[in-house]
Amino acid sequence: MIPEFHYRVRWRASGAHPGRHASHQTGGGYEFAGHVPLATFPDPRNIDAHATLNDPFGQLMVKTFRQRSAIPVFVLADLSASMNFAGKPQMLAELAAAAAYSAYRSGDPFGLIVCGEAIRWDLSLPLRWHKGGLPSDTAESLAKIRPSSRNASALGEAIPHLGRGKALVLLVSDFHLDDSFLEILLDALRPHDVVPVAVWSPAEYESLPDWGLIHLRDPETGRQRRLFMRPSLKLRFRETFRARRERLIELAARHGAREPFFLEGRFDAEALTRYFYET
Amino acid sequence: MSFGFASPWWLLLAAGALLPWLRSGQPTADYSSATMIPEDRLSAALDRGLRAFASLALLALAAGVARPYALEQWEERLGTGAHIVLLMDRSSSMNENFSGRYLGGTSGESKNAVARRLLADFVQRRSDDLFAMVGFSAAPRYVMPLTQDREAVLAAIDSIGDRGHGITNIAPGLAMALDFFNGKPVTGARIVLLVSDGATRIEDESQDLLRQWFQDNQARLHWIYLRSKNSAALGRAPTGSSENASSEYLLHQYFQSLGVPYTAYEAENPQAVEDAIADVERLANQPLRYFEKIPKQDLSGVFYALALTLLFPLLAAKSLEVRRW
Repeated sequence: MIPEFHYRVRWRASGAHPGRHASHQTGGGYEFAGHVPLATFPDPRNIDAHATLNDPFGQLMVKTFRQRSAIPVFVLADLSASMNFAGKPQMLAELAAAAAYSAYRSGDPFGLIVCGEAIRWDLSLPLRWHKGGLPSDTAESLAKIRPSSRNASALGEAIPHLGRGKALVLLVSDFHLDDSFLEILLDALRPHDVVPVAVWSPAEYESLPDWGLIHLRDPETGRQRRLFMRPSLKLRFRETFRARRERLIELAARHGAREPFFLEGRFDAEALTRYFYET
Repeated sequence: MSFGFASPWWLLLAAGALLPWLRSGQPTADYSSATMIPEDRLSAALDRGLRAFASLALLALAAGVARPYALEQWEERLGTGAHIVLLMDRSSSMNENFSGRYLGGTSGESKNAVARRLLADFVQRRSDDLFAMVGFSAAPRYVMPLTQDREAVLAAIDSIGDRGHGITNIAPGLAMALDFFNGKPVTGARIVLLVSDGATRIEDESQDLLRQWFQDNQARLHWIYLRSKNSAALGRAPTGSSENASSEYLLHQYFQSLGVPYTAYEAENPQAVEDAIADVERLANQPLRYFEKIPKQDLSGVFYALALTLLFPLLAAKSLEVRRW
């Protein structure tokens, strides 16, 4: 069973397509928008007798309502080699599947853009109403992927493909990116509602061995480091990641994104729902 | 010290010592980002140390395979015990006493007996030395090679016996005495102690040969000349033309020309023999500086041991490796 989360946005959608989200569009709905003369909005079913009598010019007044609209939901995924670490591709696939399914259940169009050094169109999905969530072939190829790109520079190129309307963008990455690149990216994403989803694995800091020699290789730069693990060094690893987490929260706040959502070890749809209702 | 390699081409393997600096030898585990790894000086030092150990171990192994050796060399040593060959005259004249008689109530001890008694005392006192024994009369007699066994030496001295016979033929005796030193390491003073009461002429060819052997063996010569009253003195040049009469003088001259340390003692009575032996003892006590040849030594074991000790920390590090977590 595909996990499902509920998302909520704090802005009004501009699209005309009916959906679940509050919208600027006037139409069939329950949210009262105002009174307009019948000549302007020729809908005699909603003639308001009280407003008509109160109108100093004696015009027939009609109640108008705001309809609820669909919003585009995008998953913008970072496929640099750093994402090929203990269970991160798995978490990415689960998140993408859950997002597609949730969008389908909310009646929203869903798009998936996967970026390495270039946009991986073979893995990406155009913005559509995908019936039943993520197409099975995309889900399969996402589950099988072994990220090996040297960087995620295509994330910037993907922004024009997000469309002109305001969209909910789940920016899925481990955010081991340059701060400057991240700042430019977040600034470019300002028209959209960006949820940074940080995919971290406890194996990066929490479950490192207490003692022993480990030899680490950065798959993006090829840099190698041999470390003599001991409790004090492990503590410094944790400290580094804690500092990184604070830095990411600060960067997101300064560049108009939502507070980052941290996926640590496994994808928990309920935690994501809670996140959307709390922020 | 000078070194050499038996198979120096194997030293090319030493280029392998660069390998640890290129690769660490430990399989890498992919990590998400190098920027997230905290700086750690201990780890960096340990990494460099392990690489250096591996590098040095490979160097030592390459050197070991190339079979290094130390060239043969001369080493200066200080000798303590002397090697003394007792060259004992057992010609018939030794049966006489110092006055020239060998029978009768007043004859006293024969020269032979005096020499044996004093030599036995001498041997008893010298516990550090090696002794050999050669008797000679007309022909040399092989009695005892160089040994430290006191009992054997004393028995050998005793075996010369009272009953000497034949003539005094020195050259073959000297040759045999010198032969004992052949092939023996020079670890102390080499002394030929010639005890005789007369001399014969040595042929020119033999003279040259003996001189050569004395110099080759770096042996010293002490001659205790047991002189009877009617024998010739060493220092007095012959007045007549007879060669027989002056053979002691000529031998003395020849010994002086040997080019090795030489002392002669003219002993005319038992007391003089004792003094002469005491003097020989004093000379033999002088320490000897000599050079010993140390043969070419294989040093590859040293390098293998070094490589082994360097490899132990690497083994320890290998056992500490963690590949998955």
